[in-house]
Amino acid sequence: MDHAFFVQLALSMAAVGVLVALAAWANIAKPSSPLDERRARDLLAYEFPGRSLDAIWVASDGAGALAKSGGLALVICQAGDGFAARQIPWAQAISASFRNGKLCVDLADIAAPRATLSLPSWPPTDLAA
Amino acid sequence: MTEAAFHPVTVATPFFIASIILEIVLARLGKADAHYETKDTAASLGMGLGSTLAGLLTAGMILAAMTWVYQHRLLTIPMTAAWAWAAIFLLEDLTYYVFHRISHERRFWWAAHVNHHSSQHYNLSTALRQTWTGGLAGAWVLWLPLAWLGFPPAMIAIQQGLSLVYQYWIHTEAIRKLPRWFEAVFNTPSHHRVHHARNAVYLDRNYAGILIVWDRMFGTFQPELDEEPCRYGLVKNMATFNILRVAFHEWAGIVQDVARRPRHALGYVFGPPGWSHDGSRETSAMIKARAGSEPADVEAGGLTPNPAAGAG
Repeated sequence: MDHAFFVQLALSMAAVGVLVALAAWANIAKPSSPLDERRARDLLAYEFPGRSLDAIWVASDGAGALAKSGGLALVICQAGDGFAARQIPWAQAISASFRNGKLCVDLADIAAPRATLSLPSWPPTDLAA
Repeated sequence: MTEAAFHPVTVATPFFIASIILEIVLARLGKADAHYETKDTAASLGMGLGSTLAGLLTAGMILAAMTWVYQHRLLTIPMTAAWAWAAIFLLEDLTYYVFHRISHERRFWWAAHVNHHSSQHYNLSTALRQTWTGGLAGAWVLWLPLAWLGFPPAMIAIQQGLSLVYQYWIHTEAIRKLPRWFEAVFNTPSHHRVHHARNAVYLDRNYAGILIVWDRMFGTFQPELDEEPCRYGLVKNMATFNILRVAFHEWAGIVQDVARRPRHALGYVFGPPGWSHDGSRETSAMIKARAGSEPADVEAGGLTPNPAAGAG
């Protein structure tokens, strides 16, 4: 590897930095409002077609939602200006850690390691079983 | 001659940077339809930079293989002949179609390609979200027959570079539709938006590099529909922008699946993405059949070859 390679690498890294800074400055992410229950249900219907929901909890900041569907928990979490969805066993959602109003759900997926949802309380006493 | 003196991608790099700046500025001014999210942009550009470095690790091996095959060639095709460039243009583009289709329809090669589809955005930075593991996945062997036919390795490399540069500019929402004759023959932003979309009707369609005619010929063409706006990304979108996870998550998934079900290793490695031994996951073909966008001729969990198995 010669000198020119390292010069090219340094310039490329600088260009990446400039472009990321420009994207941040431009503030042109996809417009999206925080999730409310209707929008969370729409998203869940798209991500998990045909699944009926027994109950739904929408994060207080609108950055995610969790729904019970039979023996499964359907989880939506924010990823940048989009959302990612995963399903996990309901028991896994029930045993998720809850501290200071934040539910941290282990999604057991390398591409979606965890979801953090702001909720007033967890687990729900009537559906804990 | 084994080494390309002209590298189209290197020459085009300033154009890549300038065009991304232009797209961002025009979007900011409300003059172009484009969305950039900071972490997503960083991940895309980081993947691009990493891809260049990762490519260096396997470049020598690929060049050596290409040179060895060329030394055992059938014909000697001159780099200076116009007909030779016309021939390499068509043959390289067909090779790219095959490579790209395999990269979507078989999980082993999808693992190397999935990162390119992992953004929920579709802008010029997405074009640079390139593989780190393509060289190791070995799909480059598909180009060896061109050297065996007699095309000099430098000529093949230049044409591959020209194809990559062509495919860069079509990663945009800023251009809606081009003239009908152009849309009929060439891959365009509209055709490639379809390729990057996760809507059931769009899954595993439009594999073309430069000429969309291959998709029309082999039954994998899908036009962009006004009533079905593209939703970009993967069937199961990523919830992280960590570029190590972006680069390696599908490989890690393969290792996990094989370790858990070694008896079904073949299916988990070489089956279509989404294949599972018990049918508990969905391939693209199953998703399309469920959504009614394709005849339901798919055996759940089966390994029947089909034109739609990748995701994104």
